[in-house]
Order: sequence, then structure tokens, then C-alpha cells
Amino acid sequence: MEKVVIKDSNYRIRKAKILRTKQLTKMEKLFEIALDGGESLDQEPGQFVMVSLFGVGEAPISVCSSPTNRGSFELCVRAAGKVTGAMHRLEAGDEIGIRGPYGKGFPIRILEGNDLLMVAGGLGIAPLRSLIKYAFDNRRDFGKIHIMLGCKSSEDLLFEDELNQWFKRMDVHYECTVDRAASDWAGHVGQITTLLPGVHLETERTFAIVVGPPVMYKFVLRELLKKNIPENQIILSFERHMKCGMGKCGRCQIQNLYCCQDGPVFNYADIKNMSEAL
Amino acid sequence: MKDLQYLILKKENLDGFVSRLSRLRKVSAPVSKGNGEFAFEEVGSAGRIELNYKPTIMPPKKYLMPQEETLLEFSTAKGFETRPVVEYEKMALFGVHTCDLAGIQCLNAVFSVRPRDYNYLTRKRQIDIIGLECGDYCDEHASCTVVSAHMPSGGYDLFFTDLGGYFMVHTNTQAGEEMIEATKCFESAAEAQFEDLEAFRKKKRDTFKNEVPIEPRFIPGLFDACFESPVWKELEAKCLACGNCTNVCPTCYCFDIIDEVGLDLKSGRRYRKWDSCQLEPFAKVAGGENFRKERSARQRHRYYRKFRYPVAKYSKFFCTGCGRCSRTCMAGIHLKDTLNALIKESDSRIWKKWL
Amino acid sequence: MKRPKVGFFDFACCEGCQLQVANFGEELLDILGAIDVVEFREVMSEKWDGDFDVAIVEGSITDKHAVERINRIRERSKVLIAYGSCATIGGVNGMKNAFDLTDIRKYVYGSDYKFFHTEMTKALHQVVKVDYFVNGCPVYPPELVKVLKAALQGIPYYVPDYAVCVDCRLNENVCMYEKGVACFGPVTRAGCNSWCVNNGNICYGCRGIVSNPNEKGMKEVLTKYNIPIEFVLNKVNMYNKCRELVEGGEDDE
Repeated sequence: MEKVVIKDSNYRIRKAKILRTKQLTKMEKLFEIALDGGESLDQEPGQFVMVSLFGVGEAPISVCSSPTNRGSFELCVRAAGKVTGAMHRLEAGDEIGIRGPYGKGFPIRILEGNDLLMVAGGLGIAPLRSLIKYAFDNRRDFGKIHIMLGCKSSEDLLFEDELNQWFKRMDVHYECTVDRAASDWAGHVGQITTLLPGVHLETERTFAIVVGPPVMYKFVLRELLKKNIPENQIILSFERHMKCGMGKCGRCQIQNLYCCQDGPVFNYADIKNMSEAL
Repeated sequence: MKDLQYLILKKENLDGFVSRLSRLRKVSAPVSKGNGEFAFEEVGSAGRIELNYKPTIMPPKKYLMPQEETLLEFSTAKGFETRPVVEYEKMALFGVHTCDLAGIQCLNAVFSVRPRDYNYLTRKRQIDIIGLECGDYCDEHASCTVVSAHMPSGGYDLFFTDLGGYFMVHTNTQAGEEMIEATKCFESAAEAQFEDLEAFRKKKRDTFKNEVPIEPRFIPGLFDACFESPVWKELEAKCLACGNCTNVCPTCYCFDIIDEVGLDLKSGRRYRKWDSCQLEPFAKVAGGENFRKERSARQRHRYYRKFRYPVAKYSKFFCTGCGRCSRTCMAGIHLKDTLNALIKESDSRIWKKWL
Repeated sequence: MKRPKVGFFDFACCEGCQLQVANFGEELLDILGAIDVVEFREVMSEKWDGDFDVAIVEGSITDKHAVERINRIRERSKVLIAYGSCATIGGVNGMKNAFDLTDIRKYVYGSDYKFFHTEMTKALHQVVKVDYFVNGCPVYPPELVKVLKAALQGIPYYVPDYAVCVDCRLNENVCMYEKGVACFGPVTRAGCNSWCVNNGNICYGCRGIVSNPNEKGMKEVLTKYNIPIEFVLNKVNMYNKCRELVEGGEDDE
């Protein structure tokens, strides 16, 4: 058996360094990462990277920062599996490997000039934050921005200090609800769907962008359609198991689509009849 | 042109050809595993080669896409260093049936579309392929005609047709010609021998008939109409989710990527290993959600990956009709039965409008 | 890096899995380079009175003394590895659970049976928290190495949750059912590289049953091949009787 190094392998790893970490909740930790040599990741909002911890493995993680920040990028990681669990032990200064970015991100060029209704449940705020931050950095390019956030409990809220700032901004309509409230919680209590009926939208120029756990989509979609948002103006981002990120390994397949290449961001009109998608 | 491309190899010279070739590179060919089963294994002469074999337990994809292959070597001793690698071996596959040639052509398509898979593509260039034609069905599970994999249509360097006392050999590539020149066992073909080949092919066309009562061009439409068919539910009860059907499939290519460290915990490799959509953990995400929890959904996925999804993406079926999935299934899930059931079940709903 | 302190322990078992360590050959030296074995009754007389980084425990829990002892081992160990079928799934000791415990004691100890306490056989995780499972009767040495490395790295090892058939097919074995022999590969957890079948034997189900077996489908297969279901259930219970404890929640004696 011969063995040669192939420089152009798609499994080539880029070296990266953790600049900063922040424990957001018990389960979620934020990592700020810079590629070696000052390279830019050059991602689109909504794309993901494969994170390598050598000897442990790779895991697909959505980039949660905006590409307008070019020197570094951020990943919000929930300790749910082997790689993500081990990643939580890493701190500033540690090295990791990066492949990607992969996938289709949010359709920025289509969203520009329109109102955005961004709906996130749980960890869904992480990928959506890349779009929120992008829209804030290019605020003039968008119409009204509504952000509806749902979470299990107030202790599970991610990016809490940022949320408080969003709440204060006059150019953003931000609301948040939790399923179970702690005693000091002054906000909404209830499922995310309870926030939607009260939002005033100009439906013909509104794009709804929804990211959350699988169970959430069905209920949120019902509310959005009830509000007459056209099907092709609803954008979803899915989570699937991925190994290669290149449309080969088959893990993330949703019928004929590969979540890693055709997604993770999909237009509802394209997938509404696919029972494996929703 | 025709004369140049066709040569003959007398049966008594087969051993000379294989022996000489095996001195130049590894040669793999079908050999008996007992119990009427066969496998591609390394041979040094023609002695063990079974010319009349039903499809091997594993298809020759095991050479093009090894069950396990290293993608990356790493060391974390000082920071980390990584080296993307490809493992390959110069070799020749002898005796590949047309169904398996079709399978390799499917894999070629998958790994050639961007982003390209250089591991596969590098290895593929090192493997010479010598086809062997079937004159008759191997057994009742074969369905090569419905997917047009019963006749040779490229995908080989040399192609052997057994015409009794000799093989008619078609040279398809430069690599094929080099094997012929290096082994010096071949003779030019006479006009009568071309007639023999014609007669063989004519008889073959009479033998091989579409095995499923549907025109191939209607199969994608059949599947479009059958996603929610009760046929899949019947498979739920039968399927043991052992993954045999996908592992023996010449066109299944799903894989897992795994890291392995040495006991020093400082150096190791990242390798990929065959995986199967039929296995419980395949579509499960870290949070616990399983997107194809039911065995019926997994079986359905397998069939759609053969008959529907690749038609849209690669304009071909990813079933080669080799029959391995049916032969290996201890629960008796047979491909032809499933297709027949789908046709029958959808008959009342959609089928009549085409008649 | 300091080598982690490792202890080997055994409960009701044949100690055959510990013997597998000796069968490693040259690789054993590499393993001993990575760990510091401080207690291993089968190969050394020294005892260790401190804590263990890793405890590798063979055998199942069958009486109250064993319960006390495994709890103590657990308290002294950062990581506990259940080692071999007796430890991971109860193994052959579980066959006892098919009988009345008093009858069993009479059978084994005769008229003095009252002096000998016994309990329903349990796998280790049915008594204490277990961090890693190395299944098999005996264990498959390469899997032990994998688990050991995972333990040293501090990352989980997931026992494959799919059938032995997967590896068996990759090894191009002729299927036992094709030979007319009942084999438990289709419902048994993989990870052994179909070791037994590679060597001409059937799979006895020593690694435990996959998490979501198709029992109805398996029965149909047995019917198809004319294999009596009772016969098969008995054979499956040879290793897997303790499985019922988890599901049925049966209590001690």
C-alpha cells in the first residue's frame, strides 16, 4: 500500500487559535476563534464550519458571528456529544482545526430591502445571531427588524447582555419569552408561538427567518402562514448530523437534499412537501 | 478500428495472462468462499478464479473505496501538525461483471462532482479494471436489465467475453492496451470470432428481459407517487436494520469519519469507514433527535437513493441490478418484490393514466 | 504526564477477560507504558490503598458483600470500566435469575444453604455508575485498547448500537443462516469485528442486544429458517438474562 500526502485534499485542516471563551450557560460556551496567519474565514451568515479536535473528532458548528467582523469568528457550542463535550474544556490560547465554511447561508441579497421577522428557539439563536449581527452592521440595507426569541427558562438564555442591548435599540423590535420563568423574570412566559400573533407585519415585504429545534418549526410555521406571510418568504435553518460537509457522507440527507450543501438554510417553499424535512 | 480494439485470449492462455499480470501488480479476482458464495481476493494465477460466479459477497467497491481509509494524519506533540494523505495500491481487478462496472461508474460520478474527493479519484487511477461478461442470469435476484446494466457500456480497461474455447477481449483504454502488451498472451480476432460474439450477444438479448413490469423511464415517476406508500410500512415489520443491504451494495458510499490516537495520545489518524443509513444511529443528532427513527423510513431512504434521488442528480439509477441486497437479506426483503409491490399498490392511484 | 493509576478487580466471573490482557503480546508493553497498574490480583501480589484513576472491573454482582465492595471501589475510582459480559450485561451469571433463589441456593450449597446469601445477578451499572463498557465474553482486546484510550483522553466511548452483522458482512463471512445455523449477529451489538463468526463460530450474543431490536422481524426470520423460537430465547438468555432487570425493574431477594 502506497501513501502520499495530497495537498488539495478537501479534508485539509486550517489551524486556528481560540482567542477568548465565555461560559454562557451550564451547557453552552462561546468561543472566539482566529485562523492562523490572519486568514479570514470569509463565511456567509448562516454557514457552518467543521471543528477538529485531534484524536476526538470533528463536529459541525454554526458560526454565530457576523462576517462583518473579519479578524475572528465565534462559535456557540452546546456540550452535547463527544467533540463538543471535549471542546468545553478548551480555553483561550488552545489550538483547534477548522474546515469550511460549508453550506448555503441566509440569502442576504434577497433579504435586503425587506422587513425581517427573525424567530429563534433555544440554541437556534446561535446561527441566527450571525444574521442579526450582520443586519445590525448593515442596518440601512434592511427595513423593520423584529426578533422573537423563545427559550426553556431564563437561566438558559444565551447572549443575555446582548439581548438587553437589542431590547434598548430603537431600530429593532425585540421580544423574548421563556417556558418557565425564574422569580425575577419580568418578560413574557409561554411558548414562542404566543409572541407571534401580536406582531404587526407588512406581510408582502416581510421575510420570516426561523431557527430552532425540530419540534418548533411546525407550530411557528402555522402561525406565520396564519399571518399570510408568503411561503417563499419563509426561511428555515436545519440541524442534521454531518460528517464530511461536502455532500458525500450521506448523514445529513433530507430526501434528495444534502443539508450540508443545499442547506442548512432552506426556503420553506422548496421543502414544504418533504416529510423528512419537517 | 474494430479489429484493433478486439483481440482473443485462448482459455489455455488465461493462466499465463493472470500470472504475468500478477507479477506486475496485485490482481484481484472472484474466488469461491464455499456455500455457493464468492469474493474478490488476491490471486497469483488463474487456478482459483471462478469464471462462472454469482455476484461476490462484497462488490469490487471495496478496492476503490476501502472499508477504512486514512484521510489525515496528525500529531499534537508541538501544537498540531496535520497531513492529508491518500492510500492507494497499483492493482488490477479481473472478472468484474457489468453490474459492478455500472456500480463503479456510479461511485465515479459521486466522487467527481465538486467538492471532489481526491482520495477516491487518486486511488481510482491506480486500479485497472478487466470486465467479464455474463451470458445468463446469475440467479433469480438479478435485475440488471431494468437498469440497463446487463450489457457492457464502458467503465473498463479490458472486457472479456467467454465464447467457449476463448475470450473475446475488448480494449477500451490505453491502460488496457498496456496490460495486453505487457503480458503478451493475446491474438488477433478472426471474422468468425466476431460472428461468435454477435451470436452471443443476440442470445443474450433474448435471455435478458426487463425483470420488473415497468418501463425504466417511468420508475422516477413511480417513486414520486410512492413516498407515503404502505409498502414501506410492511418493510418496518421485516427489516432487522442489520445494514447488510447497504454494505453489499455496489453504489452505497455513505461513511463515518473517526479519529484514532495512539496510546501516547499525541499522534494518530483520521479515517473514514463505511456507514449505513439502515443503522439506528445514522441520522441521530447529538441532542438525541433521530431523523429516520423508523426502519421503514430508513428502508424507503435506501430505495430512493437507488431509484429517485440520483436520477435527478446524476441522470442514472444507482441500482445496478446485481441482486446483492436481496440475496443477503435474511429477513427476505427483496428488491424486485418491493418494486412489484410499489407498482401494484400505486396502480389504482397513478398507473392507469400512462397506459 | 503522570501515568494514571489503574486497578483490576473481579466479581462473579471466570477471570478470563483479565487473562485477555496477558494475551496482548507486544502491544501490552505499549499499554503498560501508558498506564501504571497498581493492583491486579491475577498477576501481582501488591495492593494499593489510595485512589484509582481507572478501575477495570470484571464480573457481576451476586450478593450483598459484592454490592458493598463495588460501592467502595466506585468511591475510590475516578473512572470505572465495566469489563467483560459479566460486568456489562450480567453475562452467564444472569442465568441464575431464571430460577427461584432459594432453590438455587439449595442446589449449590445443599443443606447448609441458609448460611449463604445470594441476590439476583446484576450487571455493574445496575448497582453503581459505570463510565465505560467493554463488552464481550471474553472482551475483544482491540476494543479494550480503544476504551482505555478514550478513558485516558477523558472522552466517551460509544458501544456501537448496530448489529454484529455489519462487521460480519464487511468481513465477507458466509452468513450462518445461509448455512442453516441460528446466529445472534442480527440482534447483538457490534464492536467485536464479528470475531466469533470470522473463526467459524456463531454469534452467541455476548455483547448484549442492540437498543432497538426488531423482535417481531427476528421471530419471522427464525420461522423462515425453521429454528424453534424457544431454543433461541434460551440461548439469548445465556448472556442476556439481566436485561430484564432493567426493563422489568425486579428487585433484590
